[in-house]
Order: sequence, then structure tokens, then C-alpha cells
Amino acid sequence: MTSRTSLFLAAAVSAAALAVAGPSLGAGVEGKSICYITAANSHPYVTPANEGAQAAADAAGVKLTIVSEEFSPQTGADQLDSCVSRNVDGILLWPLDANSYLPGLLKAKQAGIPVVAIDTRAGEESMKLIQSFVGADKFAQGEVSAKQLGEALGGAGDIVILAGQAGNNTTIERTEGFLKDKAEGVNVLATVNADFDQQKALVASRDLLTKYGEQIKGVYAEDDAMAAGFLQALKESGLSFKPVVIGIGGMKVAFDAINAGDMYSTIMQPPFENGRLAIETLAKAMAGETVDPVVPLPNIIVTKENIGSYEPAF
Amino acid sequence: MSGVNLRTMGHLVVQYRLLAMLAAIAIFGGFTLDDFLTANTLRSILDRAAVVGFLALALTPLLIAGQIDLSIGSIMSMSAFTTIAMQPFAGSLPAAFIGLCVGIAAGLVNAAIVVVLKVNSLVATLATLLIYASLVLLVSNSQPVSSTDPMFGLPLTSTMLGIFTPRSMLFIGAALVMFVWLKATPSGRTLYAVGSNLSAAVSAGVNANAYIGGAFVLSGLLAGAAGVLQALSSATGSPLAGSVLLIPAITAVVIGGTRLEGGRGSSLATLGGVVAFGALTTLSEYNGVPSYTQAVYTGLILILLITLDKVASGGEGKTTRARRGARTTPTIKARNP
Repeated sequence: MTSRTSLFLAAAVSAAALAVAGPSLGAGVEGKSICYITAANSHPYVTPANEGAQAAADAAGVKLTIVSEEFSPQTGADQLDSCVSRNVDGILLWPLDANSYLPGLLKAKQAGIPVVAIDTRAGEESMKLIQSFVGADKFAQGEVSAKQLGEALGGAGDIVILAGQAGNNTTIERTEGFLKDKAEGVNVLATVNADFDQQKALVASRDLLTKYGEQIKGVYAEDDAMAAGFLQALKESGLSFKPVVIGIGGMKVAFDAINAGDMYSTIMQPPFENGRLAIETLAKAMAGETVDPVVPLPNIIVTKENIGSYEPAF
Repeated sequence: MSGVNLRTMGHLVVQYRLLAMLAAIAIFGGFTLDDFLTANTLRSILDRAAVVGFLALALTPLLIAGQIDLSIGSIMSMSAFTTIAMQPFAGSLPAAFIGLCVGIAAGLVNAAIVVVLKVNSLVATLATLLIYASLVLLVSNSQPVSSTDPMFGLPLTSTMLGIFTPRSMLFIGAALVMFVWLKATPSGRTLYAVGSNLSAAVSAGVNANAYIGGAFVLSGLLAGAAGVLQALSSATGSPLAGSVLLIPAITAVVIGGTRLEGGRGSSLATLGGVVAFGALTTLSEYNGVPSYTQAVYTGLILILLITLDKVASGGEGKTTRARRGARTTPTIKARNP
């Protein structure tokens, strides 16, 4: 899908332009209040994103209240309702599924409270009620990953997919994007949901290694934590073969594994930046400026060749 | 009838304690936040209480009967998924009815395992918790379904009479109906007898199996209602809808004053417990208290409330049940010489 790729390129350029322009916050938001409904309080990706949001809010003089959904969209929908009831000036939402936030989003619209989505896209109906989406293009990440893995395997081989939470939009997009651009000869042996969790990926990978062993030529982990889980299981198993492992996120564990030659590549997705950009976009919307419907983060591929030019994203 | 009076007084104490807790939350909220004491906050708290409230109501008669149902969260997930998944085939309203029927069916299975196979309810519903949760994940391929008719359930969360929403009114209405049933009808009162002393109730000619089985079916129905409400108001049939709500439901029931040992409790206390727990959560969120810290507060409040409960009922080193057992009818005394 070239339109997506070009969108992604355009996005990368505009994000770069935004980064050059620096924090140019909408005027007149000082002293206003923002309710930030985040996915979790303590999580390798979410926590730095929360810190980025807090930093941007502090810089703009906005009062930020952070509430955590603990990865439950039901909780988040309730929290969204509470935030609207409080009549805050803006809402930053981390959507965890397609429709659950609809009632709250409609109320926010009625109350004239701008809503910006961070990191994950909600469903179509919901996105109509959201001013802007700020985050990485997860579908493109899947496509890029398929290309990386296809190249590394020479276009053919059996692979396994370590996916995130079932039903989570990030999981869906990263899986669909991958399957769309997967090389003809690449055959998926199994897809398991390891919930973006290293421990769960470790347990699942033990089973996969027992079942398929050296048949596994490649591993598509939908985030670096799960890639690390697989590598740990591989080490435990004592098997001497080396499948191609790719991840997403640009975590420190992935950088270490790429340097050690255990992992092939990852895609940078800096969370602090994501949180900062999201609050800045929301502040603009609150000040009445028009904002782009999509404010993407660039997807930068990190392999052994270029790893020297980057710092781990988190 | 002094036993009955003491019992009513005990319940009053429990209810006042909840009011005290609500008042403390209101005062603290009023001082720390400018925008806390508003009708809108109350509406939001009541609305948020509705779904977990139905789960808590599902538990209440069972706990009174001395049983427990750990599978309510999984039943809720099954009903929520069915409600949305059936919409394209059956239409939105019949699909909601099918969702309720799934809850009843799951309750019947629980009842059969506990009553016919004589499996301890904790173990039986632990097993069905796992089975129901996996079943809905299998059927749904662990993907939530989005409603084809997303606007259908939205009125459920619209504001009514200032501080209510249709779904919070359904919950409050259900709690009131259950209160009347438990306190003012013979069958309701017999349920307490079954829970406080099973063998005495049986020897007094009560068909305890029917009561326990019935309570499980009711529990399935109410957990199903929670699932239907959640699914319609969020326009999503998530196979994980209820997976995280079992613990909040138990917590709310216990805050309300219904005890896990059986024979004691009230649906009004559950209503109060759910609202107090919801108000506490909302207050913490408004103040930006991280979720883990909130869980610590909740735990501490639970311990405090249960300790207070013992003091309020005058027992020193004795549980309320043991004390009440010593005061109840001669039949039971004769059975426990």
C-alpha cells in the first residue's frame, strides 16, 4: 500500500519539522487543566510517555491530572466520563479498544472539550470525535517488520509471531501490517499473545521451542520486551541454532541484543517524545488552533549497521 | 424478637459507617478540589457503580447463603460478547436478551455442580471461572467485536434527573427490589437461615439445595445483566469485559458489610459499598493518586471496616456470627449443645 508508505514518509517529515520548530505551544493555555487517561502507571513504554506528557504540561503551565486504566478499556471509559464531569479544559486519552470510549467522547464533544488520542488509535466512530492522534503508525511498523524479516530470511522460512494483548489495536495493526507485507515464502507456524510482557513471552517461547525447535527460522516480536523473552527462552533451552529475531520499540534490551548479535533489528518508537508531542498538540487544540488529524512519530529502523547513531528509546 | 432487633441495629450501624465514609470522602474532596462537590460528580460516581454494582448484587444472595461465585466476571464476559456478537443476526434488543440467557445458563451449570455434584462452591466456581473465561476467548478468537449499531446502547449512560443515568437507575432499582425480597419475603429470610446454619435449616424442613441452586442462577442472571449493560453502553463485546471486575465486586460487597461466612448481609449495604468504593476511586483519581497507591488504601480501609464491624457488634474476640449463633432460635441451640 504505497499511500500508507507515503503517508508515513510525509508524517516523518512533518514530525521532523515539528521537532525543529520546537515546543511552540498554543498561547493562552496557562492555568488550564488537562485530564490524561493513560494506559498504565508502571510500564516500560507507558511510564516514559507519562513523564513526557508531564514535562510538556509543566512547561506549558497546565495542570495535568493523570489517571490510569491499568490496561482495562472499561476502566478507561469510566474515567473518561469522570473527566468530562469535572469539566476539564482538555483530555488526553490512551484508547485501548475501538468503541468503549464512545459515550464519554460524545459527552466531551457536547461539553466542547477537545480530546487527543495518544499512541493507539480507537475505532472509526470514536476517531471522528477525537481531534488528533499522536503516535507511531503501528500498521506501518508491521509492514516494515515484514520487510526486515523477509530480507533477513532471504524471502523464505518458518516463523513465529509473539503478539501483544488480544483485541488491542496496536496488536491488531502490527499483526495485520506484518501479514500484508509478509514475503510469499515466509510461513507463520504459530501466533501467540504474550501481552507485551517479557515474562509471558518467556513462558510462551519455551513452549514454542519445545514444539518446533530448530524449525523456527524467524521470530516477529511485536515489542522488544517479548523479543527479550524469546531470547531468554532460547538461551535456557541450550539449543545452538540462531533464528532471526526482530522487535519493535527501541528498548535498551533490544540495543544490547543487537550489539551482541542475538537480535536482527528493532524500530525506534520514543515514548517520552510521544507524551510530549501529545500534550503539545492538545494544548494547541485547547487554544483553538487547528491541529492535524494525525501527528505521527517517525519509524526508524535500527540494525547492527546504524545502531551507533542512536540511543535506546527507553 | 430481640434477636431480630439486634440484627436490624447491626445493619443500621453498618449503614451509618458507610454514610460516615461517604461524608469523609465528600468533606475531603470538597477541601482538596474545587470541582468535586457537584451533581455531575455524583452522577459520574453512580454511573460508574452500575456495572460493578450488578456483579456485587450477584454475589450478595450467594454470600448470604454461605456460598461464593468466583465465575461472575467470566459470566459477564460471555454475556457481553454474546450481546454484541448476536446483534447482526438477532437485532439489538433480542441479542441483549440472549446475553441475559447466557448468564442464566452459566448460573444453572454452577448450580448443578454445587448442588448435584456436591462440589464446594469456591472450587466449583473457580473451575467455571477458568472454563467460561477460556470458552469466550475461544469462541471470539480473543478479539472483541464492535457493535454494528453503536448508537443503540448510548442512551444508557445519558444523564437523567440530574444525578442519574438509565443504567445507574437500573442498578439502584435492582438493589431495592433485592432488599425487599431478602428482608420482607419468607423465601428471602429463609436464605439467611440456610447461610447461617445449613444443617439446622435442613432439619427445619427447608429445601436448602433449591435455595442454593436458585441463588446461583440469580447470580448468573445478574452477572449477565452486568455484561449486557457493559456491552451496550460501550458498544463493544469484549471477551475480557469482566475479567478484572471480580475483585472490585467482592471488595464493594465486603465494604458494604456482607460477610463471606454467610448468614449476614443486605443488598442496600452492597449498594452503599459499591457507591462508597466508587466515590473513593473517583476522589483518588481527581487527586491524581496512582492506581497502586489506591489499592493500598482500599486494602487498609477493608481491614479498618471489618475491625470496626467486630467492635460495633460488641464481640471481643468473637465473630458476629458466633455471637449471633448464641442468641438465635432454640432450634439451633438444640443442634449446637
